[in-house]
Amino acid sequence: MKRLKAISKYVVIGIVVVLIIIAAVAVFLMQAPPAKEKPTKVELTGNFEKDVVEVGKALEANGISEVTYSVWAAGDPNSIMRVLGIVEAANRINKIWSDNNVNVKIRIDTRFEREFMPLFEEYLSKQPTGQASDFLANSYIYISTLAEEGYILDITDYVSKYSELVNDFYPTIFEAVKWKDKIYALPQDTEARPLYFRKDVAACAGLDLTSLADKVKNGEFTWSGIYNWAKQAKEAGCADWGVIHRKGSAHPDLIQFIYAFGGKLYNPDTGKLVIDKEAIYKWLYVEWKMARDGLIPENMMEWDWGKQIHPTVTGGKTLVFIGGTWHWTEYQTRSYYTDPTTGEPRALTAEEVKEFFYYTLFPAGESGKDPVTLSQPFVWTINSRAGEKNPNYDTLKELYHELAFLILVKASDPDINAIHSIISAHLPVRKAAAQLIADENWVNKLKNLEVDLSDEVKDQIRDIVAATVNPINTEFLADVSYMLDYTHIAPIHPLYPKLADIFKDAVDMVLRNQKDPAAAVQYIIDTVNADPDLAAEVEIIGEIPSEWSYP
Amino acid sequence: MSLRDVEVRARKTEAIIALAIILATSPIIIGFSLIILSSFSKSMVTNFDPSSFYPTLENWINLFQGRSAAVGGLREDILKYTLNTAVVALGVSLVVTLVGTMSGYAISRMNFRYRKHFLLLILLLHAFPGSVLIVGVYFIYRLMSPIAMGSITTFSFFYVIIARASLEIPMAIWLMKGFFDLIPWEVEWAALIDGASRLTIWRKVMLPLVKPGIAAILLFGFLAGWQDLIYVRTFLAEKTLATFIEYNLGTLEFAEMPLVAAAATLYLLPTIIFFITSQHLLLRVSLAGLKR
Amino acid sequence: MEYKLKDFLRNKKYESLIFILPALILIIIFYILPVALSVYISFTPLKNWNLDRYLGTIVGFRNYERFFHMLQYDPIIRNVFLTTIVFIGITLVINVLGGLLLALATYFVSEKFSSVFRTLWLLPRMAPIAVYSLVWYYFFHGSNIGTLNSFLMYLGLIKEPISWGYDIIPWGPWSIIIFVNGLVGVSFGMIIFTSAISNIPKELVIAARVDGASNWQISTKIFIPLMKWHILYVITWQLLSLLTTYAHIFLLVQWGLVSKQYGTTWSLYIYQVAFTGRTDQGLAAAAGVILVIVGGILGYITLRILGFERMITKPRGDI
Repeated sequence: MKRLKAISKYVVIGIVVVLIIIAAVAVFLMQAPPAKEKPTKVELTGNFEKDVVEVGKALEANGISEVTYSVWAAGDPNSIMRVLGIVEAANRINKIWSDNNVNVKIRIDTRFEREFMPLFEEYLSKQPTGQASDFLANSYIYISTLAEEGYILDITDYVSKYSELVNDFYPTIFEAVKWKDKIYALPQDTEARPLYFRKDVAACAGLDLTSLADKVKNGEFTWSGIYNWAKQAKEAGCADWGVIHRKGSAHPDLIQFIYAFGGKLYNPDTGKLVIDKEAIYKWLYVEWKMARDGLIPENMMEWDWGKQIHPTVTGGKTLVFIGGTWHWTEYQTRSYYTDPTTGEPRALTAEEVKEFFYYTLFPAGESGKDPVTLSQPFVWTINSRAGEKNPNYDTLKELYHELAFLILVKASDPDINAIHSIISAHLPVRKAAAQLIADENWVNKLKNLEVDLSDEVKDQIRDIVAATVNPINTEFLADVSYMLDYTHIAPIHPLYPKLADIFKDAVDMVLRNQKDPAAAVQYIIDTVNADPDLAAEVEIIGEIPSEWSYP
Repeated sequence: MSLRDVEVRARKTEAIIALAIILATSPIIIGFSLIILSSFSKSMVTNFDPSSFYPTLENWINLFQGRSAAVGGLREDILKYTLNTAVVALGVSLVVTLVGTMSGYAISRMNFRYRKHFLLLILLLHAFPGSVLIVGVYFIYRLMSPIAMGSITTFSFFYVIIARASLEIPMAIWLMKGFFDLIPWEVEWAALIDGASRLTIWRKVMLPLVKPGIAAILLFGFLAGWQDLIYVRTFLAEKTLATFIEYNLGTLEFAEMPLVAAAATLYLLPTIIFFITSQHLLLRVSLAGLKR
Repeated sequence: MEYKLKDFLRNKKYESLIFILPALILIIIFYILPVALSVYISFTPLKNWNLDRYLGTIVGFRNYERFFHMLQYDPIIRNVFLTTIVFIGITLVINVLGGLLLALATYFVSEKFSSVFRTLWLLPRMAPIAVYSLVWYYFFHGSNIGTLNSFLMYLGLIKEPISWGYDIIPWGPWSIIIFVNGLVGVSFGMIIFTSAISNIPKELVIAARVDGASNWQISTKIFIPLMKWHILYVITWQLLSLLTTYAHIFLLVQWGLVSKQYGTTWSLYIYQVAFTGRTDQGLAAAAGVILVIVGGILGYITLRILGFERMITKPRGDI
């Protein structure tokens, strides 16, 4: 009897706890959104000045005199236009308003971080609490997750009014802002991933770089060619290594191998990710073979960026570097190079960068395939609660959202995009910006900061402009823009990062010869299948080729 | 306190022990010295290669200007971040110490039902991973946030301090119980007979006798708050020095290392100062204080 | 007699309540309730912090099924288990013994010296986790930029740099993660044991010295018996900490210092599985529940073995 009493006591406590939890959850879910009143909105027409003045007038009529938005972005230090673009857009709108007697001002709070993934994760946790920024400039790969959870605004309707702008964006790049046929962002920038060849190493080994870029472009020069060249360079003692690439992840640089071997990563019909056994096998084989023959370091995935990878590339100890367009200016602003005369670590000059590096597309894997490059566009998204910190958000929500969209439109102005591209060595996302970059007069004016920018923005980019704006860099940008015609974009799927992470492990294993390429492919498949949710989202196609040799 | 105060020691044994301590500590000394050294160099000093040390003050200058990179980047308010971190750390430290000493005393002296179960529960809950716990804390944050009413920043500070402190309270309770247990009952009994209330006894008699315990809790609480990343990143409306450093290190791909080394050195200073201060304030007094 | 507030407060029952109430409130709201909620969450498909959308949905045991499926089929699992057992076992011993030895050793040397070195041993705990990881990332780096490698090559002991985290399987990565966590863990015990020792009255020690006791005898016959509670606590607490810690290993694996196969413990595995790509909080909650059950059982067993029951004596203090 006593035992029964004791047990029933615990049962009662348990029931009470469960009831409390259910009550808490119910209270939470019952926090209903505020009653919807008739939103005040403006019908967008596509005429920017007209639209923005209408919105301003509507805000003023509702007693608003200042609107505050915040913007978060991440990237290398030269990419601050990812936030300053929004600041500049706000300043331009403020000017239009003051010219049209609209007494409203926009104020922008900025935040710029180095790494984009932690910033995305912070956005994720802070959006539901209302603490996230109104604008987020981050990689497009997060659009699927953000859109799926309803954290970002669906701007399809707004964009439909601005078809002229949309048509000026490069079509492949514009695909990156869509998810399930709706538009969730505007493109901010993109890049390409060239293969950098050291001219001095090639010359030493007797390798002729003339028209190599064209040979790569028409598929004549493939990764078999890279292997032979690397071997020659190493055997001639001209370089320690044949090929150096990134560490720490397979995405995005190494994923190019899959496309270079004609493989697929995504099935647009089913919306699922794809493991293309043949292409992946060939990719891992190339890495494996080159590591066995000493052309790629076995511990490549372990190398330190600042003390090994970049000094090796700038110091001419490798023939090839699988890099990105931004490295062109990164090497001009960071001290990776040891000056041969003084021993001091310093940045390269633009002339030195041009003297050292030749660049091509990522070659086709084998003959019969096409060269590729990979772009990872950055995009501007709008918080689905944008403007929430401003007065009367519940009634004026639509206005605040429209204004946010108009800010993005302005931030996509050709000159803003062009300035960002030049100072950070990214590629422009719209044709009008590319035209500006090709315009020598305009670039010269930019160098002296004689461009139409507000003072606060000018001050912030002064030192970057001084370090990076010159004809050599703009010539580089213009030269590589052709790569966008060959570019691929990694799949927009919430589970893609998980798959990419598994690829990374496989690459490391084959480089170190812990698994041979076939076993590594099996490892990928086994790991994917271990997670039921991931396995359900992945299709496995193809077979490991039985007769295939490399080089 | 140490034995040196009361007698003459055999120098040889002491020297051997000291040497052993130095040897054991040498990796820490080397590792951290390299970081501090790197903050004064143009490139990171990681091995004994003298050519990698190229002296410069620019990292520190950049840091105090709030730059996270030599060229480019946006200026940030390092002073504000440091202050934010200090507020969180001091807040957590005070809350944990206050609550811990009170409840440690209660558990030690008072008998109530489920005393043992309570102790067991709060200890074993420590096995619950923080990356999961935070979702529950997040839920409560969202439930409570209507209280904030406009002052979201202050509320977030308040919440972070309270929530983070709560994680340390079990440790504080266990620790303080151990310290209070060592104090003989007669001391209290005498005061109770004289008519003092429990509160007075606790404040005037017991606390001074457990100063080493209080010093330990103060320190751990401060460190917990100063170092916290996950609560600060999820709830705090502003940045702290810890998140600043974390963001600037990231995957090391774009990190401006020597500058981060300077930030890290700056970060260490207040904790060292806090430790030394709290030791002095609390432990020196106890040498003259009551001991059984 | 008038019943004043003062009398109310003096009432025995309410006195203990006042002392324990703040702790009780805080622990219930910010610790116990979240744990209970997490149990609930493990039955929902919660992800990406989207409480509004997923909290009301129940998916039954799906998350648990997924988790056990992974435990069965993931190729890395066997190594994760091995790594976890070795890691926890050895690091626990280092943490407790190291803390104890340091506390005792610093007692027997001069105060100035001790306080300097105690501060040094606190540095691992004071540094931001990323910076602390950075120190050892450089220290154990497998190339010639690594501190250890360059030191050994300078002494002529090795010709080529050794990739500690990858070449010496499995003890290379194991030693590194044990070392890195050990250095942090030691300071926990050190502080607690030092405080405990300083509360022990000098007279005991003086009397023992007069009787001719050595350092060793004083430590084992006087100090350790008086620190039983603290030792019990440190062992159990550290065991549970090691079971759930991943922060100090996470970066080392991410930065490529140690092999993922042998550098991943159980808690890091859970973190990676749940939070790579999609923030899968339902799955993490399920894994967390399993972890707390396992940890709770282990912790309880440890407490029993170490005599927790005996040490929880009835308090003296109620008149």
